[in-house]
Amino acid sequence: MKQDSKGASSNSSSNTAVSEKLLSSLDENMNIIEQKLGKSSDLVIRRVSISKTACAVVYIDGLVDKDTVQEYVMEALMLDLPSHRTSAKHLYDKIKKASLPIGELSEVEEFAHLLNRLLSGETLLLIDKEAKALVASTKGWRDRGVQESTSESVIRGPKEAFNETLRTNTALLRRKIRDPNLRMDAKRIGKMTQTDIAVAYIEGTAEDSVIKEVHARLDQIDIDGVLESGYIEEYIQDAQYSPFPTIYYSEKPDAIAAGILEGRVAIIVDGTPDVLLVPALFVNFFQSSEDYYQRADIGTLIRLLRLVCFSIALFMPSLYIAFTTFHQEMIPAPLLISLAAQREGVPFPAFVEAMIMELTFEILREAGIRLPKPVGSAVSIVGALVLGQSAVQAGLVSPAMVIVVAITAISSFVFPAYNMAIPIRMLRFIFMFLAATFGLYGIILGLIALVFHLCSLQSFGVPYMSPFAPIVAKDQKDVLIRFPHWGLFTRPTSTAKKNQKRTNPSSKES
Amino acid sequence: MNISVYKWFARATVILTCLFLLTGCWNSKELDELGIAVATGIDKNDDGDYVVVVQVINPSEIATDAPTNRPPVSTYSITGKTIFEAFKKLSAKSPRKIYFSQMRLVVLGEKLTQEGIMPTLDFLYRDHEYRASFYVTVARDAPVDKLLSIVTPYEKIPANKIMNSIDNVQLNWGVTKGITIDKLIADIRSPGISPVLAGIYIIGNEDEGNNMSNVENVDAPTKLEIDHLVAFKDDKSVGWLNEEQSQGLNYATGDVKSTIVTHPCDDKGTLTVEILRTTSGIKANTKNSNPSATISIEAEGNVAEVDCEVDLGAPDAIHKINKEVEKQIEDLVQSTIKVSQEEFESDILGIGGAFHRDEPKYWKSVEGDWDQQYKNVEISVDAKVKVRRKGNSTQPIDKKG
Repeated sequence: MKQDSKGASSNSSSNTAVSEKLLSSLDENMNIIEQKLGKSSDLVIRRVSISKTACAVVYIDGLVDKDTVQEYVMEALMLDLPSHRTSAKHLYDKIKKASLPIGELSEVEEFAHLLNRLLSGETLLLIDKEAKALVASTKGWRDRGVQESTSESVIRGPKEAFNETLRTNTALLRRKIRDPNLRMDAKRIGKMTQTDIAVAYIEGTAEDSVIKEVHARLDQIDIDGVLESGYIEEYIQDAQYSPFPTIYYSEKPDAIAAGILEGRVAIIVDGTPDVLLVPALFVNFFQSSEDYYQRADIGTLIRLLRLVCFSIALFMPSLYIAFTTFHQEMIPAPLLISLAAQREGVPFPAFVEAMIMELTFEILREAGIRLPKPVGSAVSIVGALVLGQSAVQAGLVSPAMVIVVAITAISSFVFPAYNMAIPIRMLRFIFMFLAATFGLYGIILGLIALVFHLCSLQSFGVPYMSPFAPIVAKDQKDVLIRFPHWGLFTRPTSTAKKNQKRTNPSSKES
Repeated sequence: MNISVYKWFARATVILTCLFLLTGCWNSKELDELGIAVATGIDKNDDGDYVVVVQVINPSEIATDAPTNRPPVSTYSITGKTIFEAFKKLSAKSPRKIYFSQMRLVVLGEKLTQEGIMPTLDFLYRDHEYRASFYVTVARDAPVDKLLSIVTPYEKIPANKIMNSIDNVQLNWGVTKGITIDKLIADIRSPGISPVLAGIYIIGNEDEGNNMSNVENVDAPTKLEIDHLVAFKDDKSVGWLNEEQSQGLNYATGDVKSTIVTHPCDDKGTLTVEILRTTSGIKANTKNSNPSATISIEAEGNVAEVDCEVDLGAPDAIHKINKEVEKQIEDLVQSTIKVSQEEFESDILGIGGAFHRDEPKYWKSVEGDWDQQYKNVEISVDAKVKVRRKGNSTQPIDKKG
């Protein structure tokens, strides 16, 4: 961290030179701009003469909406304005007040701001003899559009996902929450990337302490570039050395909106569809937005299923190792005979067998993500054949182990939050070591350590394991079981202490 | 990164390295290194040494879709001065470590049961590898090594076949019972009751039975069958109960789940009642200075088979059947009491336990000499039977009119 800041200070020396005021000479200003930006091919400078005054229109090609620049800047200046015969003296005021038919127009007097605005896709208008510039918002670049979510798919509920443009993302949230108290605090992080960041929350519902903490942590970030919200996450998360995520993220506006309604704070980063949400509790990673769209009973059952899958994904291979190498007496006789028969002729100990299969699966999974789509199906064929049939036929692994690995693999894909599957992936191997060393005893030791660790975590001041540890009776209605919406009277106490009431208990006529 | 994190990493590294070094821990055994024993036979030979027979399964033969002609189980037979010595000598014969935790059955030889089984039980009970859930049985008229080498049809593991048969016979016929080692030791140690054990014997030629060709016949020439019960006095066997006496014992102790009672009709033919539920209780008293006990049995049943002319619709028909069945049951139990008092002089019904509960003062005075006192106790049997249903046809199907 210290080294970083040193590097930053040497870098920023060039920035301070820019932080000077604009000069009154257009030529000198233009010289400075050209000097700062170099001979970039996408920098467009159009010098025009309006009412005998030299002016310059500057923008970056590709970041501006060319039609807007053409129609509302260039045409307004060059076609409409000259017909009004304006004196050079009042030209600036005239342009500012009457001539540019653009919604967002502002004045800038410093080079630093000027360049910043220019590089954000705004159009500069510099006029000779004026030590300030007009900046017209003409942002408009190609983006992906609002498309269906690819990483979090649902059966029922909105399919739309955030995209890479901050404004689109904030708009998606605004469209869902029309409350005037919805705040979108703006920030800019990254010395070079100057990435726009919005902190979204509902004033009066979100905890002030959390909002303050988010702002404080964001302000402390000293980094040259932010390309994805993961950069921010690593800087602001509570437990740096825990495999468990203490920040939730989603690319679905409905999931983020639901979080904001519960009093959480969303951090939207320009350039990525993944929006962060804090504070994040352990249980949040087991909840899908779809739980709230389906009927309450199936929502509850599916949550229980996810918890079962959590245990399977974490413990299944280690339990298999422990039972077959230490606790054969705990396996019912017919099952033991069947397992023993399968192990006949397998050359490796159960632990090595499990490691081989788990590693093979991890390799296939990683390859499946990286490979181009057309090749992906080839991988799945190789996986199915090599992992399943051939390995068994070659006598390298027992069929039971293939089943164990398969159920483990499938279970780890059940969680709605991908980042909760990651610690499980890693801890699974630790538990396999423990099982191979100490049997069930080792697994229990590991489990105790895991529970201690989880209970020690916090996310922005909220205990990670709440509402289980500490137990909050009121919040149990939306954790393991989901009450019907008319029964969810209050918002979670952990995140919305100030504005608890969600629905009137009498709103449901029975 | 601060110092405490480095420290933490250093510690974690040390611990993880230790984990690696510790693998291959003392108690870790792979499944394919184990010989899973399902049955153990123990007897004594003429020299007074223990003979131990272990039946080990051959897993790949049992759970397979491509069976070969190798047998599903193998037996190893060893002799030793003590049982444990014999077990240790097993390693010379068996290629794998014999694993006893899944054992289903212990078969004791008749010679051993006559000399006393307590030393054997001590070993089985003391060793940590044995579960307490296996059945203890006695081989009748057959050496244990031969008996455990019989290849059984239908059920591949002979020990499983025996255990399942004991359970089935106990559930559906009531002439035997499965005794686990806990119960056996408790019965031996309690002065108020003497133990019984289930007997197993071989039908057919015992030398042919250990060949796979035995099960290639539809009707296997050599089979294992569950016989009746053998009565013990302390830890020594004193004699076999026959079928009626075995059933009578189970009635008295309330261990009959389901069985049948057949009684002759008035003129000709028989009527069979299926017993579905029984409970029993023993009351003891010393009134009239004479120790006496009453065994009361309550049973419920259905009419199962009518092979005679009887009007089941008559108002007192069921009542009559009840009385008949009660008498049958009382006779069965009386036959058991008679043989236990006169022939075995062993309290296999647990009458002493009833005195212990009901007449503690009297029990104190006779406890040391109970075996002698037991002979003189007057025991009456009082059965109450309720026949509930007559089945799908209320009358005999060939009834006229």
